[in-house]
Amino acid sequence: MRLDPVTLAILGNKLAAVSEEMCLTLQRTGRTLYVKETADFACALAGLDGRFFAYPRSIGVSGFVGLECAPAIAAVGALEPGDVILTNDPYRSEGLATHLPDLHMIEPYFHDGKIIAYGWCFVHCSDVGGRVPSSISPVNTEIFQEGLRIPPVKLVKKGEMNPDVALFLNANSRTPDANMGDIRAMLAALTAGRRRLEQTISQHGAETVSAAAVDLVAYAAEKARTVLARVPAGTYSFSDYLDDDAATRLPVRIALAATFADGEVHLDFTGTDPQVATAMNIPSRGRPHAWLTLRVLALVNTLDPTTPLNVGMLAPVKITAPEGSLVNPQEPAAVGVRHAAAIRVNDVLNGAFGKALPDVMPAASSGTVIPVVMAEPDGRGGRRVQVIEPMIGGTGARKGRDGIDGRDSGISNLANNPVETVEAELGIEITTYALRPDSGGAGQWRGGCGMELTFQVLTDDSNVLGRGLERLLFRPWGSNGGKPGMPGQLILNRGTERESHLGKIDVLTVNAGDTVTFLTPGAGGWGDPAARDPVAVLDDVANGFVTVEAAARDYGVVIADGAVDAVKTADLRKDMGASTLTNAPGPNAQVSGEGPERERWDAAFPAGVMDRLNRGLVALPGAVRQRRRRDIFEAVLAELPEGFPRVAASKNAVDAARQRLEAAAGSFDDVKQEA
Amino acid sequence: MKTSGARIGIDVGGTFTDFVLSNPKDGSLTFYKEPSTPDEPSRALIDGLQALLAKAGLTSADVATLMHGTTIGLNAIIQRRGATIALVVSKGYRDILEIARSRMPSSFDFHASKEEPLVPRLRIVEIDARLSAAGEVTKAADDAELERVASELKRLGVDAAALVLINGYTTPSVEIGMAKTLCEKAGGLSITSAAAIWPEIREYERTLVACLNAYIQPLMQRYFTGLKAGLERDGVVAPILVTASNGGSLSLVSAAERPVETILSGPASGVMAAARLAQAANVTSIITFDMGGTSSDIAVAQAGSAALATRTDIGGLPLVLPVVDVSAIGAGGGSIVWVDAHGLLKVGPQSAGAMPGPVSYGRGGTEPAVTDCYLALGYIDPAGFLGGRMTLDIDAARVALAAIGARIGLTGENGAALAAEGALSVTTAGMATELYKTLAARGLDPASFALVPFGGAGPTQANLLAVEAGINRVVIPPAAGTFCALGAAAADLRRDFVRSLRRAVDPASAALMLDILAELENEGSAWLDREGETSQTRRFERGADMRYAGQAYELRVALDESHRDAASICEAFHLEHERIYGFRDPQTEVELGTVRLAVVGVTDSITQPGVAVGTGKPVRKGERPIFRAGAWIAADVYDRTALGAGDQITGPAIIEQDDTTTVLLPGWSARTDDHGNLHLERIVQ
Repeated sequence: MRLDPVTLAILGNKLAAVSEEMCLTLQRTGRTLYVKETADFACALAGLDGRFFAYPRSIGVSGFVGLECAPAIAAVGALEPGDVILTNDPYRSEGLATHLPDLHMIEPYFHDGKIIAYGWCFVHCSDVGGRVPSSISPVNTEIFQEGLRIPPVKLVKKGEMNPDVALFLNANSRTPDANMGDIRAMLAALTAGRRRLEQTISQHGAETVSAAAVDLVAYAAEKARTVLARVPAGTYSFSDYLDDDAATRLPVRIALAATFADGEVHLDFTGTDPQVATAMNIPSRGRPHAWLTLRVLALVNTLDPTTPLNVGMLAPVKITAPEGSLVNPQEPAAVGVRHAAAIRVNDVLNGAFGKALPDVMPAASSGTVIPVVMAEPDGRGGRRVQVIEPMIGGTGARKGRDGIDGRDSGISNLANNPVETVEAELGIEITTYALRPDSGGAGQWRGGCGMELTFQVLTDDSNVLGRGLERLLFRPWGSNGGKPGMPGQLILNRGTERESHLGKIDVLTVNAGDTVTFLTPGAGGWGDPAARDPVAVLDDVANGFVTVEAAARDYGVVIADGAVDAVKTADLRKDMGASTLTNAPGPNAQVSGEGPERERWDAAFPAGVMDRLNRGLVALPGAVRQRRRRDIFEAVLAELPEGFPRVAASKNAVDAARQRLEAAAGSFDDVKQEA
Repeated sequence: MKTSGARIGIDVGGTFTDFVLSNPKDGSLTFYKEPSTPDEPSRALIDGLQALLAKAGLTSADVATLMHGTTIGLNAIIQRRGATIALVVSKGYRDILEIARSRMPSSFDFHASKEEPLVPRLRIVEIDARLSAAGEVTKAADDAELERVASELKRLGVDAAALVLINGYTTPSVEIGMAKTLCEKAGGLSITSAAAIWPEIREYERTLVACLNAYIQPLMQRYFTGLKAGLERDGVVAPILVTASNGGSLSLVSAAERPVETILSGPASGVMAAARLAQAANVTSIITFDMGGTSSDIAVAQAGSAALATRTDIGGLPLVLPVVDVSAIGAGGGSIVWVDAHGLLKVGPQSAGAMPGPVSYGRGGTEPAVTDCYLALGYIDPAGFLGGRMTLDIDAARVALAAIGARIGLTGENGAALAAEGALSVTTAGMATELYKTLAARGLDPASFALVPFGGAGPTQANLLAVEAGINRVVIPPAAGTFCALGAAAADLRRDFVRSLRRAVDPASAALMLDILAELENEGSAWLDREGETSQTRRFERGADMRYAGQAYELRVALDESHRDAASICEAFHLEHERIYGFRDPQTEVELGTVRLAVVGVTDSITQPGVAVGTGKPVRKGERPIFRAGAWIAADVYDRTALGAGDQITGPAIIEQDDTTTVLLPGWSARTDDHGNLHLERIVQ
C-alpha cells in the first residue's frame, strides 16, 4: 500500500461514493422502466488500465464489477476533454457490453491535461431495433437479428454530441425518445462523477487519488485472496444442464473444473457445450467475465462483507473458456438472453464450490427467472404488452439454515409488480400469487419453496409469453444428502376437464375463461431429510410450507392432531434410512439429489464422455459444429424412448445410446492423434 | 391551537426524557431533562413534568396542551415485540408478507436472510372475497364464510387483526363493513382495515400499514391509557397530543386508532423545529444534522417545510405513509474506532451505546468511541459534560486511542491525538459522502444549504462536516440538546389522506378528482373539529401522483385551488416533468394515479425569546489547547449563555453550554443573532 491507513480509508469511502452518486443521478434523471424500477444500470470509476477501482455497493447492477473498458477506449484512438465513448457491441468492445440493449458510455476524466481516470456507466435501454420489440428474443440465431451494433464511437466530441451518431441511433430504435432520455441521464451521471472526482482531487491532490485507486484494488485483492485461501486446495468438478436451448429439445451442458490453490482459483469451462444457435451464449471473450464469475464475487462478499467492490476481487481468478463454446462464442453468435445461461453457470460454480466448502455453499436455488408477459388485444388493433410478474423460486438450503422461500437474488434481484397495478392495466384477474407448498427440496435443512402464479384470462385471443421457463426437466439439486426441489410446471385450466400440462412455450394463445398456472421449481435441500428435527417439520406443516403427507413421505415424520407422533416417526425413519443408502451417487458425487431425470440422462450421457465429445466439437469450425452435434445426438437419442429422460429407458437402450456417444467422442480422439 | 396556558413539548429518548415549556404570558421557554425509564416510559414523563412545572413556577392547572413524541411503537416493530396479530386476506394471497416485493436485502451475500414477517403464515387466514380493479365486488363473502373466518380468528387467540382485500382501495366501504362484521362475530376483536387506514393502490404496502397498525395498537393503547390516568392523578387535565411521523400531531384518541402514524415522530419533531427556527432566522434552505449516540441523521427543509418521503424503511419493512424524510449518514458519538485485519482505520458501525459507552465514561468500555476523540483533541471539557453532571476520564480515552495509533504507525507523544484526529477525519468523510449521496438523489447541491445541527454531539461535529461537505454556513440553535422536545411543543395538527384513481386525465376524471379532494377536505375538517382544533387557521395541501401513459413511474405534483380542470392539471404535470427531466411530451396522454391531501391545523408558532444585545466582542472565559492538523493550537473558550446579540467570535474557539459544545474552526467566525442562534460562517479572504 502506498497510502497511510487513514487516507486510504477516507478515499475508499469517497471514491465508492462518487460511483454511487453517479448512479443516483442516473436513476433520478433516467426515464425508462429499466432505470426506474428494475435498476438495470450501473456506474463506476475506472483506472488508466480501464478496470474499475470504485464501484457502487448498494445501487444498480452489482455483478459488472469485472468488466473492462480498455478495448473500447483503445478502439477510438486519442481522447480529448469532453469526449464520451458509446458502445453496445459485445464483440467489438471485447465483452464490455454483454448484449445489444446495454448502452455503455465512457468519459475520460482529465486533470492538468492528462487522463487521471475514466467514468463509466451503462443502461439497459428499451429497444435498439432488431427482429422483435425490446430487441431480445431467445430464438435469434445471429447478433445481426438483435439490433443496431454500435462499435466504440465518440458519441460526444469535446462536449458536443456527434449529430451523425445520434441520427443512426434514432433511426434504429422503436423507442428513440426514451433511449435519448436515458442517454441524457447517462451523460448527467458522467458529469456528476467528473465534478465529484475533481473536488476530491482538489481536497487530496491528484497523486494521492491516483495512489488510492491502485491501493484500493490491491486491498480488495488481498481480501479476496484471504477468503479464497480458506478453500481447501484441489480441483472440484461439476456439471449441470439447461433443459434445452429454446429452439431444439437438446439439453445444454455447462461443465466446470474449479482449481483452488494458495488463495487463487482457476475456473476451467472445458467440457461445456459448443455455442448454441439461439441467443443464450455468454460473450466472455475468454476473460474472467462478469457473467462467469458472479458466484466468486458472492463467495468473497459473503465470507468478508467488508471487501470493497472493485476489480481487485477478481485478481485471484483465472479463466479457461474454450473459444466456440457457450461461454465464449464466436462472432456472430446471438447473445441477447445470455443471462439465462448465466443462471446455470452460477449453479455450476455453486456446485463445484460446494464440494470444497460443504458447510458454506447452499444447494441449488430454483435457478429460473421467468418474466411472465401478457400481450392482449387493446381493442384498437394493437396489443397491450406487460410483464405480469417476474417469477422466481427460492434459494437452496445450506448447513444450519433452510433456504429462503419465494426469493432468489442469485443472478438478479428484481422487484415484483403489485397485483393491483397489473390488474389495473391488463384484462386479467390474478387468482393466486403464492408460495408452492412441498416444492422445496427435503433435507435436514429444507430448500426454499417455489411459487405459484395463476391468472384468469378475460380477453379472447390473448398471448402469454413465458421466456426463461427452466428446470421443468432437470431439478434444482440437493446437497449432502438433501433432495432436489420440485421441477417447474405450466398448466392450462388446472383442475378442470380441459386441464393440460404444457412444456416450454414460445407464445401461448389463450381465450377469455382460460386460467394459466405457472409453478416455479423449489430449491434444493441440504443434508439427510431423516435427520431433520421433527419440531422443524411440525413447524413447516403448521405454517403450510409442507403438507402432512409430505412430512411422512419425505421426512419420515408422522404428524397427527397437530403434534409429532414420536413412535411412528421413529419407525418410519428407520425404514427411510435403509432406502436412502441404496441411492447410487451421480457424477457430481457428494452433491446429491439431482433427481431421476438427471440420473437417467447421465447414465446415457456420462460426464467423462461428454467432456471429450465437447472438446472435440468446440474445436471444429463454426459452420460444421452445429450440424455434427445434431447428427450425433439424433443418433444417440434414437436408441432411447420418446420422452427420455422423463421416461426411463431399459438398460439395453441406455447401453446402446452410451456406446454410440462413446464412439462419437472417440472419433475426435482419432482426429487429434492424426493431427 | 390558540391558547393562553403553557404548551409543553416532551421527547422520550433512550437516555433522557427532554421537556420544553413555552409560556405565552411572558414569552419564556423553560427546559428540563429527566433520566428516562425505559421499562415504563410514562413514569419519567409524569415525574419530569412536575419538576418542569416547579422549575417554571407553574402548576398542573396552568398547562394548556402537552405534545408528546414516543418511540414505543418503533422499538416494538424493530425488536418484533408487538402484539400477536392475525391477517385476513383475499383467497390466493396467504403469502403476501412472505413474498413481499420479492427482493433480498443483499444481492451478493448468499447467507443473507429475508426480513422476519410481522405475521407468521399460520396466523394468516384467507377469505373468499375480493374486488376488481374497477371497484366491483367480484367475490362477496357470504355469512357462512364470514362465520368461518371469525371462528378461525377466535381459535387463533390473537390480540388484534388486519384485513386486506385485493383492490379494496377502490371502494374502502366494502372492507370497512367487513371489518365491522368480523369484529362483531369474533367477540369484539379489534380489526384494522387496510382500505380504511390507507386506501392506496399496491396491496403489499397497504397490508403492511394495516399490520403495523394492528401490531403496535394494543401496546400503544395501554401506554396512552396509563399516561392519561397518571397525568390526571397529578391534576393535569389538558389535552394530550401525540406527534406524528409527518411532522404534525394527533389527539390521543386519533393516535390510539392509528398509532402507525406516530412511529417516526421523534426525528420528525427535531427536523420541524429546525425548519421553523431557520425560517424565523431568514435562512431558507437547510440541512438538519442530528448527531446522537449511535448514529447521525440528516434531513432537508426549504422555506419552513421539511421534505417528506412516501417510502421509508422500518426495521426492514417498507412504509408508504408520508413521513419527514430523515436519512442516516453514519457515526454517532458512541461509534467505535477500530483497526481492521488489513490495517485500515475504521469508525463504526458498532456502537458503545450508553452502556458501556465510550471509554471516558468509565463504565467498563475498552474500545475508544468518537466522543473519546473529541475529548482527546480538547474539543470537549472532561469536567463540563452534561453541565458538569458527569466527569469524563480523559486519561483512559488517551490510553485507548494511543493503542489504536500504535497499530497504524501513529506513535510518540501525540499518538493518541493523531489517532483521534484520523478517526474524526474518517468519520467526517463518511458523513459527507453520505450527505452528498442523499442530496444527489434529489438533485440538490449542498453548497446552497446551511447546516443546522442538534443533538448532543451535533454542534461539536458540525463545523468539521461543513468544511468537508463544502457547506459555508452553520446555524446552531440555542437549545440544541433538547431540540426534538421544542419541535414537539410547536407541532401543527396534521393528517394525510390518499385515494388511488388510476385513469387518464380528462374532464370526467378531473371532475372526479375535484370531488374526491372536496370529500377529503370535508373529512379532514371534521377530523380537525374532533381533535378540538378551534382556530380558523387551517390549510389544505393538495397533490397528485401522475405520469405519461406507458411510463413506469409517477411524479408527485403539487396542486392548488387554481387547478380546476383537465388542462390545468395536465399543465401542472408537464411543468414538473420539465423541471425534473428537462422536457415535456405534450402528445402523450397524462394519467392520474393517487390523489393526496394533507390537512393542517396551524399551531401558534413559538418564538425564541430574544437575547440581550452584546458588546460585539464577548469576553472569553478561558483558553485551552485543541489539536488541529497535527499540532496543538490555542483556542478561546466562551460560555454560550454569556453571548449577546451581535457578538462576534473568530475561530479557533470553543463555545460551551450545558447540553453541548460548539467547535469553531480556524478560518471560520461565529455571530449570535437576536434569538440566540449562533451563525458560523467561512471567513472570506
